Amino acid sequence: MSDTPRAMRQSLSLRLGSAGFLALWCLLAAFPIFWIGVMSFKSPVDAFDANPLNVIFGPVTRDGGDGLSIIDIVLGLVYLFFAVKLALGWLPKMVAQHSPGGQVWAGWIIGALAYAISFVVGLFVILPLILNGLNAILGPLGNPLIGLTTIHYWSVWVDNAFYENFINSLIVTVGVVTVSLTVGTLAGYGLARSGSNLAFWILIIALIFRALPHSVLVAGYLPVFVNSAEILRPILGENAPTLYGQPLAVIAVLVSINQPFTIWMLRSFFQNIPNELDEAARVDGCTHFQAFRWVIMPVMWPGVITTGLFSFLLAYNDFLVTSLLLDQSNQTMVPAIAGYFNRETTTTDQVEAVAAAVSITAPLFLLVMIFQRQIVSGLTAGAVKG
Amino acid sequence: MKLKTFLMAGAMSAVASVAMAECAFENEVELRSLSAGFEAWNAVTDAWAECGNVQAELNQEFRTLQPQAFAADPSLYQIGGVSNGTITPLLNEGTIRPLDDLVEMYGQNLRPNQLIRINGEIMAIAMMVNTQHLMYRSDIFEELGIEVPTTWDEVLEAAAVIQEAGVVDYPLGATMKTGWNLGEDFINMFLGYGGEFWNADGTPNVNSEAGMNALETMMAMTEFMDPEYLVSDSTYVQQQFQQGRIAMANLWASRGSAMDLEGESQVVGLVDAAAAPMAVEGAAPATTLWWDGVVIASNISDEEAEAAFRVVMEGLDREMVEANNDAAIWLIEGYEPGRLALGAIATASATPPPPAYPSTSQMGLMHTALGNELAAFFTGDASAEEALEAVEAAYTTAAQEAGVLE
Amino acid sequence: MKFKTFAAFVGPSVFLMLLFIAAPLVTVFVGAFQLTQPVVEMVEEETCTPGFVTQTCTTTTVTRPVLDEFGEVVTTTEWVGWTNFTRVLDPEAAGAAIRAMDWGQLMQVDFYAALRFTLMFTLVTLPLVLGTGLAIALAVNNAARSIRGPVIFISLLPFIVTPVIGALSIRWLFIGDGILTSALEVWLDRDIAMFAQAWTIELMMLFYRVWHVAPFAFVIFYAGLQTVNQDTLESAIIDGASRWERLRYVIIPHLMPLIIFIALIHLMDTYRVFEEIVGFTSQAHVISLQWLTYDFLQPDDAGNRAFGRASASAMLTMVGIVFLLIPLLRRTWRDHKGGSH
Repeated sequence: MSDTPRAMRQSLSLRLGSAGFLALWCLLAAFPIFWIGVMSFKSPVDAFDANPLNVIFGPVTRDGGDGLSIIDIVLGLVYLFFAVKLALGWLPKMVAQHSPGGQVWAGWIIGALAYAISFVVGLFVILPLILNGLNAILGPLGNPLIGLTTIHYWSVWVDNAFYENFINSLIVTVGVVTVSLTVGTLAGYGLARSGSNLAFWILIIALIFRALPHSVLVAGYLPVFVNSAEILRPILGENAPTLYGQPLAVIAVLVSINQPFTIWMLRSFFQNIPNELDEAARVDGCTHFQAFRWVIMPVMWPGVITTGLFSFLLAYNDFLVTSLLLDQSNQTMVPAIAGYFNRETTTTDQVEAVAAAVSITAPLFLLVMIFQRQIVSGLTAGAVKG
Repeated sequence: MKLKTFLMAGAMSAVASVAMAECAFENEVELRSLSAGFEAWNAVTDAWAECGNVQAELNQEFRTLQPQAFAADPSLYQIGGVSNGTITPLLNEGTIRPLDDLVEMYGQNLRPNQLIRINGEIMAIAMMVNTQHLMYRSDIFEELGIEVPTTWDEVLEAAAVIQEAGVVDYPLGATMKTGWNLGEDFINMFLGYGGEFWNADGTPNVNSEAGMNALETMMAMTEFMDPEYLVSDSTYVQQQFQQGRIAMANLWASRGSAMDLEGESQVVGLVDAAAAPMAVEGAAPATTLWWDGVVIASNISDEEAEAAFRVVMEGLDREMVEANNDAAIWLIEGYEPGRLALGAIATASATPPPPAYPSTSQMGLMHTALGNELAAFFTGDASAEEALEAVEAAYTTAAQEAGVLE
Repeated sequence: MKFKTFAAFVGPSVFLMLLFIAAPLVTVFVGAFQLTQPVVEMVEEETCTPGFVTQTCTTTTVTRPVLDEFGEVVTTTEWVGWTNFTRVLDPEAAGAAIRAMDWGQLMQVDFYAALRFTLMFTLVTLPLVLGTGLAIALAVNNAARSIRGPVIFISLLPFIVTPVIGALSIRWLFIGDGILTSALEVWLDRDIAMFAQAWTIELMMLFYRVWHVAPFAFVIFYAGLQTVNQDTLESAIIDGASRWERLRYVIIPHLMPLIIFIALIHLMDTYRVFEEIVGFTSQAHVISLQWLTYDFLQPDDAGNRAFGRASASAMLTMVGIVFLLIPLLRRTWRDHKGGSH
């Protein structure tokens, strides 16, 4: 804002106040998450120590022989710095170049996955290999300074097969986002373009549904899902499935619960697309559906991405539905973590749970990093006007 | 989806190849089990998995699901893990089968003590007992010259001495988290004072002398406890112990071995266990006896039931116990009580012995009412009498709704 | 748009909502006026349970449900009118407490305690969330362009992090000798137990909720700030409006629709507050309306659950929500009549 008019310039105290407030907020926002990150790398004794310095430096963990030397820290920070830089600069470029036209989202999914995998491999496999060598050579500089152990991550992901939960989360989340957006865009478009009273009442009822306490609904599903084989047998014969534990059934439930929000949000995006656009398409001989598919959808992507992100968060973070309706072999990550706490746990279990919690937060980090701009621009373009 | 199938297949084959070595037979019937998720169940279900084709689900919230899953036809699980509390809905709805034939065929290694009989029929196979025992810091007791207390009055005296000496943050710990835990602690104390929960006509009777005494003692205990006791569950108390913040607690026996866990405990070897204290001199210890065990669903074919029972027997054998000796107070052949199990065994074999927690609908309703309503007394919102009245009112409403009280 | 086309477009969505939301809702509505009981009988039962060495056998009279020839429990279902509601609301005790002007006694009835907290929580967090969100948005908008990206990223974290985990991470900072409690103890030089009394727990819950939701308000406001009409702003400057006046008379009116939008989403979400009660295990001190319903539905060890009372309390919760929504419903109706077509 180089051309800021003089009257818009701010006094020093205002600028300092504003910057100070922002710094305080960032500290508040990041600290709890940062802290569980720190805890997850310590031995149980250190992780729950009352003295914050002990938690950070982890003397017991260090005595156990696991730790980071100055070299480790420096190289690690350099690695992280470049990783972030790559994610923000290089990755979008590569995706844009190599994705086939119109399929940018697929490029993003592949790109992000490849990036995430190489990041993890680099941090946990290649870097330690190099550093082990370096530490041995460098003597005093190579002595551990901060206690740090990745053993909890190892037991979570390898011993307890957390990757299965990860895959389940992936299935449920992808399912919910796809179905939710497909069904939701259709309905959102229909509602935005119809002025009938019916449309109005559908919206109102959806709004009331949006406000319902979920535990009420969810408790009703359990008996039906558990007994679905018996209930459906007269209709489907011997092949009637037991819906309890099926990811598909959970996807259907989550999509439905999320529908009210999705259609409201998408409707307001559609309302911002001028009606003349589809009328022009109709004049050219398109049906309503063709107009929707070939004329409206291409300009709707910001709205779809923003709404999709909200669906993603809902599905990924859901606890109530997934914990009640999925069995162990199909469980997603959030209820799996709650399982760690609900067990008659040892302190080690708890730190493992913390490590698992940090693990499931990591993909969210990546997601926000990538889509941050789209969220803001999407909201600016659409929902915020409605 | 493909990746998952691939990984699953890999995992399965890995399990399968190990399985043959450990399990006496190769199980070919698809079996699923549902149980709680504590250490002993981990050990047992791992042993089952060695027989192949067994999918174990361990879930601490299993009680929400188990009655409905077993009532489905066919039952979603063949094998269930229960305790004397959670077996009740399964007994009520007749969704578990009598095991007499199967025990005769495959149960040669079972001790008579393990067979849970209801009206003479074997309905479940117990594998372990659980109860509270008094854990204490032997080093502190020695240093201050305190005798190991046998009654709650002595516990309070000892706590006062420890408080005086100021060697730990809080002399006492207790599992008084609102809800199930608080209810359980009250039930223990109430029975310790010789209380009867019901009158002859089925109306509740907790607002009695025993109830007042129990609350009074519990309130006296809180003087020596972390003020956050209404959120402290077993794991929290165990952690307080491990970090050397408390000196005594009447805690579940299944928690004992955690005190000696290198790597998370700072008091390794310093904690000993004695029988749960008595509320009244000469009475039974103020606690209840619990067992955990296995049931087989009734809505399944006989072949499945047979396979399920054989797998269960494989898990409840000597090898499993020897490999996981300290995970529980096993009832199974081959168990050698460790140092920290002695307290629980002393509790269980006291004369007179503590009563077993009863498997009835009424007990479940009473437990809920106690757990929910007593908190008001400890927060100071209600007097002891008001709180107990509230318990009785809540129980009456719930019992009338459940049809067990006119 | 013809009705047929309209139906084809909204059909799948409406079908899903009818199946998975409306249908359970009807069950709940009917259930609120019904009482389903098993038919029970008293039976003598000998139970043998293990001790450590030997078994003890006791014979007691217990109630067991009667089973029919298919092995199903025989149940009776009765219409009980408002009984379930009376049991939840306990008008007798409430009336007595109100007549005696005894607040503490009124709070002994769970429903009113839950209602008090739910309303307090909703109404207190609302201005805090709006205020914090707006303040962050203004501050970010004010910051140098180069740091905006990272700041937005950090600010969004509390919103995207899984609620269960967010609540736990804050709980760990405070429970027992958690590091923040220890820090407070050192600073104030006294022993502090954050989970020992209601007001500190409520404070932590309020903090958590604001922490969790303010980023949502922030990002919406921030998007809104990007579309503030610069001409209006400049003419306000020419008219000599101070910074505060510009905020008050230009920016806030511009953001008004967004404020209403966030307020409504927030009211709906906060009114069904639940995760905080579980995450902070505050049942002893504080409960909420949805938690009350959940608690009625949660089976105990013996498998008992109070479906009738749960339904009634759910219906009462819904009535409250409809009240909260009336202003928005009226606005939507006006928009609809004003018509975009």
